[in-house]
Amino acid sequence: MWWLVPILALFLGILAGQHAGIQVPAEMVKYLSIAILAALDSVMGGVRSLLERTFNSTIMLSGFFANALLAALLAYMGDRLGVDLYYAAVFVFGVRLFDNLSKIRHFIINFFRNRKIRRASDWDGSPAVKGSAPSREEVL
Amino acid sequence: MKTHRKTLAFSCAMIIMGMLLSVQYQSTNTAERELYQQRPENLIAMIRNLTDKRSKLSLEMADLSNQLADRRNAFEDQTLVAKSIEQELSKLEIVNGSRAVRGRGLEVTFLSTSMVQYSDLITLVNELWASGAEAVSVSGVRIISSSYIYYRPADGGLEITVSNQPITWPLKILAIGDSNNLEKGLTLPGGFIDMMAFNKIYPTLRQKEALELPAVNLSQRFDYLKEYVAAENTAAQTGTTAAQGS
Repeated sequence: MWWLVPILALFLGILAGQHAGIQVPAEMVKYLSIAILAALDSVMGGVRSLLERTFNSTIMLSGFFANALLAALLAYMGDRLGVDLYYAAVFVFGVRLFDNLSKIRHFIINFFRNRKIRRASDWDGSPAVKGSAPSREEVL
Repeated sequence: MKTHRKTLAFSCAMIIMGMLLSVQYQSTNTAERELYQQRPENLIAMIRNLTDKRSKLSLEMADLSNQLADRRNAFEDQTLVAKSIEQELSKLEIVNGSRAVRGRGLEVTFLSTSMVQYSDLITLVNELWASGAEAVSVSGVRIISSSYIYYRPADGGLEITVSNQPITWPLKILAIGDSNNLEKGLTLPGGFIDMMAFNKIYPTLRQKEALELPAVNLSQRFDYLKEYVAAENTAAQTGTTAAQGS
């Protein structure tokens, strides 16, 4: 149940943000949005790696901050230089976000399927590999 | 240990995520109200609404400025009327003695040794009025329509009073008006000066460029005075009623 803590942290963050009364200037809203997109992508990547059992907190946190800052900075630089790097960042992070999401979805679906199969095949006492997703061929 | 690190990393990321989200949410909410974020169709509609509103307001403004001009004119008329009434009032106050006045005129001085009767003073004042005096004061008391000159017993004899105030010696009578005319009026052969000389009284006459006459405190009430309506008006009225009667 450790995943309840990050969700609680999310709500805490939202509350803090609402009561902090931070006013972002209108021209900075664009860069903040791209930073948020990058951060969201990092979090989703973290969840995916968690499911893939390749999670590394250092990689995840560094990715979170670096991606967000760099995305905002690059979008800003692009605006200064007349190159719309903003759209590139939106595209890249959007694609990655949906990619991560679909992978997470696959893992979850496979997890439940796997559990059904495991229950059905409990009789031979074969050790179930908990959490790891068996390949499509294995499941079928 | 591993779980702790996972929890810490995710919590950290999530807190920052949440803050970013809510800040961004607020910012976009406020930014949506700004014009450059609006869609062109909305902007066109807004412009149309605002132009309508503006034309309505300018109509209203013209209306109101007309009203203002009217009011201002009315006010100016009122102030003109008030000003003329004030001028009239000050003139009347000068005439009826409730304001101190100054001007050139004649000064008549009786020495304290002269045996002046109160009737002599009345004659003198009458002569001055007749010679065109515009304002007269006797011993520092302004002569107005209800002034009276009389005498009353005092220690060792009688004293002359003007409006119930005893005169002081040397007695000075001031009159504002054409000083030459005033002097002539008094020095006519058989006039006031001659009459006084007959009684061995020799008042001195002095024409002065600037005489100052005090004001009188008018606290008189007029309970019985009514304006007299011109007789011909009533006659005309009776005439019309008679005509109607016939």
